[in-house]
Amino acid sequence: MFLVWLLAVPLAGAIVTLWAPAKGAKGVAAITSFVALLGYVGLLFVNRAGVNWPWIAAWGVRFHLQADGLGLFLLGLNAVLFVVAILASSEDMGRIYYFWLLVLEFAVAGLFAAVDLFVFYVFWEVLLVPVFFLLTQWSGARGRTAALKWLIMNLVGSFFMLVGIVAVAVIHHQNGGAFTFEIAALSGMAIPAGIATWLFFAFLVAFWIKAPLWPLHGWMPDTYGESPAPVTALISGVLSKAGIYGILRVMMPIFLPQFRQFQLLLLILAAIGLLYGALAALRQTDMKMVTAYGSLSHMAMMALGIFSLTEAGILGTTYYMVAHGLMVGGLFIVLGLLESRTGTRTIQDMAGLNQSAPRLAAYFLFFVLGTLGLPGLPGFVGEYMIIQGLIQSQVVFAVIAGFVLVVAAWYMLRVFQAVMQGPARSSAIRDLLARQVAWLVPLAGLVVFIGIWPAGITSHAVPSLYHVMHFASQGGGR
Amino acid sequence: MQDLVEILILPLIGAGTITAFKGIMPRRLPGIWASFLVAVSFVLSVAADRRLGQLAAHHRVITGVLWNWVTGFGPTIHWRLYFDPLSAVWLLIITGVGALIHIYSIGYMHDDPGEGRFFAYLNFFIFSMLLLVLAGNLAILLIGWALVGLASYFLIGFWYERPSAVAAAKKAFVMNTLGDVGILLGLALLYVHYHGIGYAHLFRIFDTARPGSAFFEWSAFLLYLGAMAKSAQFPLHMWLADAMEGPTPVSALIHAATMVTAGVYLMTRLYPLLRLAPFTHQLIGAIGAFTAIFAASIAFFQQDIKKVLAYSTLSQLGYMFLAVGVGAYTAGVFHFMTHAFFKATLFLAAGSVIHALAGEQDLGQMGGLWRKMPWTMASFLAATLAIAGIPPFAGYFSKEAILGQAYNSGHLVLWAVGVLTAGMTSYYMFRLFFLTFFGKPRNAKLYDHAHEAPLVMTIPVVILGVFSVIGGFFGSWLNGWLSPAFHQYLGASTAPLEHGPVFGTVVTVGLAVIAFFVAYWLFVARGIQPQAGTTRAPGLWMLKAWGMDAAWTAVAVNPLKWLGDAMLAVERAILAGVVGLADGIQAWASDLAPIQTGYVRRYALSIMVGVVALLAYYLIRIGFIS
Repeated sequence: MFLVWLLAVPLAGAIVTLWAPAKGAKGVAAITSFVALLGYVGLLFVNRAGVNWPWIAAWGVRFHLQADGLGLFLLGLNAVLFVVAILASSEDMGRIYYFWLLVLEFAVAGLFAAVDLFVFYVFWEVLLVPVFFLLTQWSGARGRTAALKWLIMNLVGSFFMLVGIVAVAVIHHQNGGAFTFEIAALSGMAIPAGIATWLFFAFLVAFWIKAPLWPLHGWMPDTYGESPAPVTALISGVLSKAGIYGILRVMMPIFLPQFRQFQLLLLILAAIGLLYGALAALRQTDMKMVTAYGSLSHMAMMALGIFSLTEAGILGTTYYMVAHGLMVGGLFIVLGLLESRTGTRTIQDMAGLNQSAPRLAAYFLFFVLGTLGLPGLPGFVGEYMIIQGLIQSQVVFAVIAGFVLVVAAWYMLRVFQAVMQGPARSSAIRDLLARQVAWLVPLAGLVVFIGIWPAGITSHAVPSLYHVMHFASQGGGR
Repeated sequence: MQDLVEILILPLIGAGTITAFKGIMPRRLPGIWASFLVAVSFVLSVAADRRLGQLAAHHRVITGVLWNWVTGFGPTIHWRLYFDPLSAVWLLIITGVGALIHIYSIGYMHDDPGEGRFFAYLNFFIFSMLLLVLAGNLAILLIGWALVGLASYFLIGFWYERPSAVAAAKKAFVMNTLGDVGILLGLALLYVHYHGIGYAHLFRIFDTARPGSAFFEWSAFLLYLGAMAKSAQFPLHMWLADAMEGPTPVSALIHAATMVTAGVYLMTRLYPLLRLAPFTHQLIGAIGAFTAIFAASIAFFQQDIKKVLAYSTLSQLGYMFLAVGVGAYTAGVFHFMTHAFFKATLFLAAGSVIHALAGEQDLGQMGGLWRKMPWTMASFLAATLAIAGIPPFAGYFSKEAILGQAYNSGHLVLWAVGVLTAGMTSYYMFRLFFLTFFGKPRNAKLYDHAHEAPLVMTIPVVILGVFSVIGGFFGSWLNGWLSPAFHQYLGASTAPLEHGPVFGTVVTVGLAVIAFFVAYWLFVARGIQPQAGTTRAPGLWMLKAWGMDAAWTAVAVNPLKWLGDAMLAVERAILAGVVGLADGIQAWASDLAPIQTGYVRRYALSIMVGVVALLAYYLIRIGFIS
């Protein structure tokens, strides 16, 4: 029942928030997210049972949630990052802001637990709404444009996916099976060759946009640029994973032949995105945009891991999703703390801030090092496994990925050094407050922990990846 | 195993406690605490070595798994430690020389406000370096490898308000990331083929393999790429000269004695792989020899006391790789050891000079300091004689061993380059020595204020100076100690120390002695200024390090920046496309929406799209079912 807790608590908390006093909304939200996190601890250590309730009998839809190895740690990422994001948010945001945050937590938790395609789709759509309102109301000057781009691009993707979902269920039914949206039942189903390609790309577009992956990332710069830092952290840390996760959860079991057929094309597209994001990050002058394009590049790294169609690559991606979420989430939040002190994001306008804010600089550097893939921290583990997968399937992409790691070191350090080091040109800023350190320490500690002991995640992810992989291992890689 | 973990963990505890409590620690405490922990690590290392020595000669390996690292499917990798005679040598030098440099730093850093931070970094470095040499597989090695790079980054950029230090730190980090990626690719390649990256596992397989396949060449080359970056082999060497921005004890410990020799360690460790990759093996020797002579030429005209030492480090690392390349593994390790003694002496003595001259590093401001700093001068002289290869000082023996084996194995070109470099080394080192300690003081004011360093600094320098004198006599012990390790697997038949031809020794020492007199004649008898000859070619080119920095900027840095700008241009086009799409839909939506106020319009839009989607759903459903 802990799984239901993960969904019910944020939803209930969201409703309570609406009646909380304006100044107390943050407290209510923080407590709610913390209780949800406790639920996750219970899920992890006590009981992982899911639920499987009938929902829409006529269509064979069942409200089927399950916490298996694929989603288990993403649920954890969701629970952890929402606590941090809520604590990092300002009290002045008002109760509606916290309402939408908790609704978002609910929707994402549902998404990562759904194993019925229809339920998956419902949560997929639901999570658009809170982000849309967070962008319109609590964002920068171009927040409305950002919100519109977010909504339109994602709805276009969802539309294609909806078509795909219905078609898959219908074809399965026509093949003589029951009318069901259960992913496990649809796995490995036969799809007529002509239509399979269309359906494959219909699903892929939705996930490709959500991640986002090049070149369907048009919504990303405005959304990342305009949203308040905690929301950016959630979008890049958690929501972006929904795209990659969807490919693994939904597409892999159903469309494996198509992945094999189009493997080279997919690898090339991902590799372009990998290079594109890294090189664009190199020349940005806005520190948030450097991180955003770096993240675009990292999403492509995850995609490469999947498209390698090897065990190492797919396990690497599964792990890297969690690791990247924690680190890039932390990084965006630190950037937000920095921006709130300096009032600017342009790196040329800052220098030598280390002198007045050494603790802020230390956490900044920590997340920078994690994001650039320093061995010892978790990014490296994911990248190593992905690169090993690429060597197994197409070695040239391993070399490209390796090259991008070097560029990543360059663009990440460039930002850190420009802002924090050198002679202090800008005026002194306040260092981190004790209460901010209080939640950054556990986050950093968690990052270090999963970097030192990745097996804690990788070994648990395996049983459910077998389900995805027992198709792939029949000759996906060499 | 237990003792290895203790050796490893003590410096990490130091780094952690100092970081956490440096605010409330009394001023001297971080340095004393850090030095104490490394000294304890040293004592434990000696004990561990003795225990290793008590094992039967051919079973001198202690290995064990601490914990799993990655499991599941795909790779299965553990936190594995591996302790054998080779790691033992590094362990002793890291903790022994490391402890002395820690103690020296108590004096050197005593008036720096960042003293606590400094010692935390230094202890963190020791931990990382120990992890590197105690790792039992390539993945754990890579973690140590990257963490020493991180420590190096911290310490090069220690004075972070200096733009030059910040730039140097970044350059070191990025260049070393290139090397890290080499190792990453190399170890992944090995994993894919052999389902494991533990040393013992790989080497057992290598013993039955035939040399020469492209696979072995590639994996060896990729791993060598890591060694190349870490040990500053041409053309990945420029970061090491810039790394002199860090405090001088750092230059002694990290950028001379230990970290930069990690590449030598890795290549020596992987001798069974080098057997299988003859081309890469030859390449290592060739690049090593080239780096040796190339860096020596740059050292000729340098104006900065630390820059001369930095290029001499490069050059000596070249010798070690030359040794690896000709299969003289013991000689390479031997040179690592003597180099650790004499180069640490040189850097620490140079640090005392810089300290005495209120931070001045320019040779143009020095001269005549022997009267003021006799102990420093004596130690510096001992180490200079050692690096110049004058018998019976330490460097003579190890360099002779390398050159002798290069000759015996028929690598005559490498041998000749090595001999020539030995002469050049003697010249530029005595130039440095004379310009610093002899002749007339070139800056009277600085000279007047100069003074011998405090005991806490002088004693470590003198101890290291003594080892620079006697270090050469450890050769036969080292030979006996390492031979079991090199007999364990195929590929190190030429590892034991050998004697070269007598005429080779005569030529090498003769050149060194001649170079000594040339330097004496130029810089003492004739009193030539350090700047002489640097205004025109070839001195100017040598001073400018043959323009390699500009070459890298032109070949790699600028093209990447241009590509980045090109991406931004493409990005603008993509975003413009999205905006066009969004505007179009918005216009369409506002035409349809009856009420034009914000919210309703957007709701309407969402509903619209939703309706379209549902409609499509039913259309398709009907289409398929009927």
